[in-house]
Amino acid sequence: MRDQITKYTGKLLADRSACADGIAFAAQDDVLITAGAPELAALAGGTLSRLNSLALVAARPSLPFADFLIARAGQGEECIVPQDTETRTFLHDIPFLRRQDLPDDPGPLLARLLGTRKGVIVEGIGIVAVGAITVEQAFINYSSVFHSTFVKYLQDVLADGFRLPGEREAFDSFRRQWLRPLSATGLDFIPALSQEKEEILAEIERVGRYTVERGLVDSFFGNISAVAGELIYISQTAASLDELRGCIDPVPADNSSTTGITASSELLAHRKIYEQTGARVILHGHPKFSVVMSMLCDRKAECAIKDCWKDCPHVRELGGTPVVAGEIGAGGLAKRVPPVIGAGGSAIVYGHGVFTLGREGFGEAFAAMVDVENFCRDEYFRRVDGAKG
Amino acid sequence: MFGWTGKLLHVDLTRGTCERREIPADILHAYLGGRGLGVRLMRDYFRLGPFEPDLPLIFAVGPLCGTNSPTAARLACVSRSPLTGTIYDCSAGGRFAWRLKGAGLDALFITGKSPHPVFLSVDPARDELHPAQSLWGKGVKETVAALSERGSVTTIGPAGEHGVLFANIMMGEGNSIGRGGLGAVMGAKGLKAITVQGDGVTGVADKERFEAARADVMRLFRASPVIFGELGIAEYGTPALVDLMAQRRMAPTENFRSTFFAESGNYSGPAIRKECGAKKEGCYGCPIQCKKASAAGEPLPEYETVNHFGALNGISDLHAIVKANSLCNELGLDTISAAATLSAFGEARGRFPDAAEVASLLADIAYRHDQGELLSLGSRRVAEIMGKPELSMSVKSLELPAYDPRGAYGMALAYVTSNRGGCHLRAYPISHEILRKPVPTDRFSFSGKARIIKIAEDVNAAVDSLVACKFAFFGATLEEYGELLSAVTGVEYGPESLKAIGDRIYLTERYYNCANGFSHAHDTLPQRFFEEAGSAGEGIEVPPIDRVRFEEELQKYYRIRGLDAEGGFGGRNLLAELP
Repeated sequence: MRDQITKYTGKLLADRSACADGIAFAAQDDVLITAGAPELAALAGGTLSRLNSLALVAARPSLPFADFLIARAGQGEECIVPQDTETRTFLHDIPFLRRQDLPDDPGPLLARLLGTRKGVIVEGIGIVAVGAITVEQAFINYSSVFHSTFVKYLQDVLADGFRLPGEREAFDSFRRQWLRPLSATGLDFIPALSQEKEEILAEIERVGRYTVERGLVDSFFGNISAVAGELIYISQTAASLDELRGCIDPVPADNSSTTGITASSELLAHRKIYEQTGARVILHGHPKFSVVMSMLCDRKAECAIKDCWKDCPHVRELGGTPVVAGEIGAGGLAKRVPPVIGAGGSAIVYGHGVFTLGREGFGEAFAAMVDVENFCRDEYFRRVDGAKG
Repeated sequence: MFGWTGKLLHVDLTRGTCERREIPADILHAYLGGRGLGVRLMRDYFRLGPFEPDLPLIFAVGPLCGTNSPTAARLACVSRSPLTGTIYDCSAGGRFAWRLKGAGLDALFITGKSPHPVFLSVDPARDELHPAQSLWGKGVKETVAALSERGSVTTIGPAGEHGVLFANIMMGEGNSIGRGGLGAVMGAKGLKAITVQGDGVTGVADKERFEAARADVMRLFRASPVIFGELGIAEYGTPALVDLMAQRRMAPTENFRSTFFAESGNYSGPAIRKECGAKKEGCYGCPIQCKKASAAGEPLPEYETVNHFGALNGISDLHAIVKANSLCNELGLDTISAAATLSAFGEARGRFPDAAEVASLLADIAYRHDQGELLSLGSRRVAEIMGKPELSMSVKSLELPAYDPRGAYGMALAYVTSNRGGCHLRAYPISHEILRKPVPTDRFSFSGKARIIKIAEDVNAAVDSLVACKFAFFGATLEEYGELLSAVTGVEYGPESLKAIGDRIYLTERYYNCANGFSHAHDTLPQRFFEEAGSAGEGIEVPPIDRVRFEEELQKYYRIRGLDAEGGFGGRNLLAELP
């Protein structure tokens, strides 16, 4: 398991979600092992030893958003409810511990909280997330908590402005230093994808890596496919976008084989998009500013719909890209995205993410996703600046 | 009390009495229901032989049964298996469990032996035993039809009456209490059938919390490709796995001599849909509806059944496989053990049975005619009697299902640590090793598997006690089911507390088995898996399992469980420590 700890420590550094000197893992088989920053490692080990689970990560996020959310929360509040539909589906809510409520040995208390939830935020310390059966699962849960706190904090700032000392400065630092320009410049794509299996698989693998390396998405948030004749090649469920080798299922268009039962939960959406648009490839990810902006709606005050993320029947727009609601998997997303994506080649799903198309290859789909996210990022800051003014 | 009724029906077949008794609330809180409650109720009886009259046969529902909790209209049947000699439980759906709870009961506790065949009718107004001489000897369909006006029916067929060691108890809706021969236990008691007729409602302590938790579960079902995906089990039933297992090169073929059957496409999920006009059916109140039936309403075979009557015996004719499945259902035979016993028999004699011979041998088994007398004993005893004990592909005498352990090392370990013998459902590592849920693990590595299997066994023991369907956990987790349980009962439960209950149940079962002579020596796989390779293909090699590494991981597992190197309790009186 030490190799797994090394691998996922590296991933936390590569995606810049945790501070280099603030990462620790614990894992247990017949013995408990810990690795990483000594104080966090002790915390991780002391917590995991009380849980019937295999792994745990304790890390200090590279952004202070989770701590700000705790500080902004009301006195009686004990958890953060993620606003994006993806992490809300899997996390439900994220308990937090305030600094002043932290006992000398927080292990038992953390174990109790992690006995019912996948991740906990500890003010001043970081995110603690458990992996029931693998180290990778602890990493995924950390990433999910990081993603959901990022999205919620940005939403809250837009809605309520800054409230705490130092908050504005930290936000500016995030904006000027942490964020990096997004672009497709310098990336190689096959301009027109052939029907040849090996070429398709290699291109999907490469594009998956690009999405993570360029910071468009975190590695577990998305899926990719290409169609070739009667086959759809699609990334598998729970596959890491930057590690797709061996994790792409060929699925017959006529469902004559069920080998693709392990394919992404969005297989149905991909199939319907191909049927209605004639595209060659589809890219789907959860870029954060698109997720944030998709949940802004001017009509919320007067609208009777409460579960906007699944029930909203309207098609809104963000910079010309249609925004629709719909549940993931076998829910409504597969019905609402295909009719709207063909015209412009991209669509945003409320609180979830972005789908983009390529008519010949992934270059077009990748560029479209970059464009959507850049528009949403610019629009977000334009609104924040407008609110400040 | 919410969730539980707090009552069991104690039936003494020797004396012909039925009496409703209280179950202490602390026992229900500590063991939930289903498997856990049944295992706890076995505490004073676990040393009795499977056919001793005083051995109880227990049917127990769970606290979620009778509510709108997804997949929870189930029960567990618990006793001691005549096939394996271990403590035994089996989870089953249908309508029977829901009706039983509606009759105001958490469990049926049936003991004794009737001097003449009887059936038991359970009704909120009156529980009583009735003569059943006229039903004895009849098949399952006829028995169910004869009793259907009394509510939901569960019955044995001729196999249970004749003491076949892998006889099932069949539910009237086509479900079965399978694998371990509890049908033979019921038959030995002279109990032909049970009918239940109740329509009481299970109260929910916090309805708003319940609805929120239920919505969470349903959202996760819809997000799961295995459950509601267009290639998943809601569409194709468990035969959706046929193509996948073939591609992964781990479909047991010809008594596990190989792991790929070129003609398996004949009985894949899409082939069954096309050839048999498969339509959706399922357990009461289940949103998944993974069971499939023909246009005429005949239950169609599950994945294990199509593989074992198919590849395992070298048969590619779908209609012959469907016929074998229907015969087993009618006679009250377990399909996995029946097909695997025929396969071992076939290899031992040098010829696997063809489709026609399968049908006649199944009838012989059920009535213990001719060769059926031998085959009714299951593959371990058959192979020993034929002088080729190595050809029984079983663990603790339970025939292995349709996941070759050379293709999934967690599965290999889980087969031997299972308390009921070679079963895939105790830890169900196929979920992560093949189906990538909740996250994928490396199927050709033992790394971490001892801990993973232990955790999964605990989880599934809790699931079997709720009682929920394991397929629900291709999407949901104990987080959501813990919420459902807390909302229903008003008692707080979460994943960790449920796993602790699972650990308690698992260790109790292991303790019973150890007290009955089981030890490390029984925790092993057939020799074949350590010496022969499976079928390579599509870039996948399927080498023999490394015995040294296997044993190393098993010893890790023992340490994690708190067992000694022999897999035992080292003089510890576990039962004295438990509620």
